[in-house]
Amino acid sequence: MRAITRRLRTLTEQRPRVLTYGATALALVVVAGLWTLFRLSTPEAPLLYWLSPVVCACAILGGPGPGLVATALGLAIAWLIVPDGGGAQLAFAASGLAVSLVGYLVRRERRRDHRMDLALAEREAHLGSIYDTAPDGLIVIDEIGVIRSFSAGAERIFGWSAAETLGRNVSMLMPAPDRGSHDGYLGRYLKTGERRIIGVGRIVVGERKDGSTFPMELAIGEIRSERGRAFTGFVRDITERQAAQARLQELQAELVHMSRLTAMGEMASALAHELNQPLGAIANYLSGARRLMDRPGDNPDRIAEALEKAAAQAMRAGEIIRRLRDFLSRGEGERRVVSIQKLTQEACALALVGAKESGVRVQYNFDPAVDGVLADRLPVQQVILNLVRNALDAMDGAVRRELLVTTAHSSDGMTMVSVADTGAGVAPGTKLFEPFVSTKTDGMGVGLSISRTIVEAHGGRIWTEPNPGGGAIFRFTVPLAPVGEPVEAGP
Amino acid sequence: MSETMVHIVDDDAAMRDSLAFLLSAEGLASRLYEGGAALLARVGELEPGCVITDIRMPGMNGMELISQLRQQGVAHPIIVLTGHADVPLAVQAMKAGVVDFLEKPFDDVVLLRALRTALTQGQSEAARLSQSAEVGALAALLTKRERQVFEAIASGDSNKTAAIKLGISPRTVEIYRANVMEKMKAHTLSDLVRMSMMLNDANA
Repeated sequence: MRAITRRLRTLTEQRPRVLTYGATALALVVVAGLWTLFRLSTPEAPLLYWLSPVVCACAILGGPGPGLVATALGLAIAWLIVPDGGGAQLAFAASGLAVSLVGYLVRRERRRDHRMDLALAEREAHLGSIYDTAPDGLIVIDEIGVIRSFSAGAERIFGWSAAETLGRNVSMLMPAPDRGSHDGYLGRYLKTGERRIIGVGRIVVGERKDGSTFPMELAIGEIRSERGRAFTGFVRDITERQAAQARLQELQAELVHMSRLTAMGEMASALAHELNQPLGAIANYLSGARRLMDRPGDNPDRIAEALEKAAAQAMRAGEIIRRLRDFLSRGEGERRVVSIQKLTQEACALALVGAKESGVRVQYNFDPAVDGVLADRLPVQQVILNLVRNALDAMDGAVRRELLVTTAHSSDGMTMVSVADTGAGVAPGTKLFEPFVSTKTDGMGVGLSISRTIVEAHGGRIWTEPNPGGGAIFRFTVPLAPVGEPVEAGP
Repeated sequence: MSETMVHIVDDDAAMRDSLAFLLSAEGLASRLYEGGAALLARVGELEPGCVITDIRMPGMNGMELISQLRQQGVAHPIIVLTGHADVPLAVQAMKAGVVDFLEKPFDDVVLLRALRTALTQGQSEAARLSQSAEVGALAALLTKRERQVFEAIASGDSNKTAAIKLGISPRTVEIYRANVMEKMKAHTLSDLVRMSMMLNDANA
């Protein structure tokens, strides 16, 4: 049973070939029949003359097999009907062979084309499925920033459909300030060829259709073709990863705080013990002196001596405190020339995770003229992170929630970073930057005092002033990098 | 008291010198030692009186000195000076037979009172016993919770530790502590510790 079906199947698969040969024979027979029927023979057009177009057609359309079969069959038919004319038959056979050869070549070429078409279609299908199922978004733009392709992944990430984005400028997918500057970035690249992001990849902020923003990893590739340049962007939403990282960083920061607190606690204990010696001695000298003064008798020398000794002990106490300050200012990290904009953006990206969801509007304004600063990256980022987190905390529950982060020239020739919020503001006279002073219910009063230590270790200042529109502005300064120093790209 | 000698042990020269000056202003004679070893070297020839010693000292610390003195039969009353956060150690010292402990820097009045108590102590066992009975009577007035707080504090617990042990808030401990001090007519923590020891002796 199975054998029969297999036979049938092979037969059906061979059907085209059977048909071709059948059609070849049929065409020859029909032409020969017509020739005989209508007595078409003339000395100029013998039977073979009429059969040669059929041979040609068979060879070209059917390939070498049908061509050769047609030649042989034609010779046989001609011999049957008009058994003479050896010279013409030889010519017919030769031309039939030649035409069959041509048919073979044509057929081979056609087969090769067909195979290539198949391979292309297959590859296209592969790419298409990759394109549609990749979790990352794929966006292709042309050299003026117009979106040419928008993958299913990109649709998922941004909330826009491909139909809504095709033909529009890619800047629609980014928040300010990139939205306004993207065309400029592209233009600069086309003009200078200087790569800032292409082939490097970077973490940037994207904006969804609903206006919310999210951190994303962006890798950009460039395609150069005869029709001009295009850029492929691979986008990965890293909100979750970054939230985890932020949590980690928060924990780390907490750890640093705690270890610093522990160290401070130990130091405070040691310091208390050490300070108690001179303080105790001072108390003893002075109490003794007072007792002597209460007594009748001539003791001025003894009293003077005791007072002098008390003064010396006071100096000793001062010396202990000076040693402590030296200790605190130790442990400087490595200063490098870094971009304050990049450093700030990174810190903000971390600090702002989840902020958009709570309805905070964030704006940046960076002055490129003061971008290169001489700083220890992580501690300065910690300062910014502290300030931005504080600003967000301060605006929790406020009606207007706007955060403005700027860099600018300070009056004393440094770079000034400002974090302005529209929260409740700071009550005048609050000693915010002192250790263990907190205006938050669950605050430890450590963040700002550590921020101050960090900023002052850099030779800068940190202060707060009221925001004219309500809220507070926290500002700090970092030294500008010496002119001509290359800015480090960072990790 | 002029025939008695105050033996001062402290590793800090200024502390020793200033103490001696303060005592001399009150007419008290003193002898200075820069460490426990120096005092122990003179065990056989110690003038009668009392010992004032620091707890934190390099070499031999105050606690070691106390136990050495007691082992060698020196019965001088001992006053301990402590730095910050040494209270549990001071309580331990009280249990080792120290009459008082003071936190540096201390009020001269408190020191002199402690000294006088120390110098007159040990003369009347009868007085001590009657005092013990009196303390027992006072302690009987404490509520159960006050008694718990009293015991915790007298064993060297901080307010916070006591709060955790008793399952109440540190604030509540503070209130109970104040009540205990008042009911027991205690002025200082060392009074409480001493009373607690008396009660334990009486019960034993």
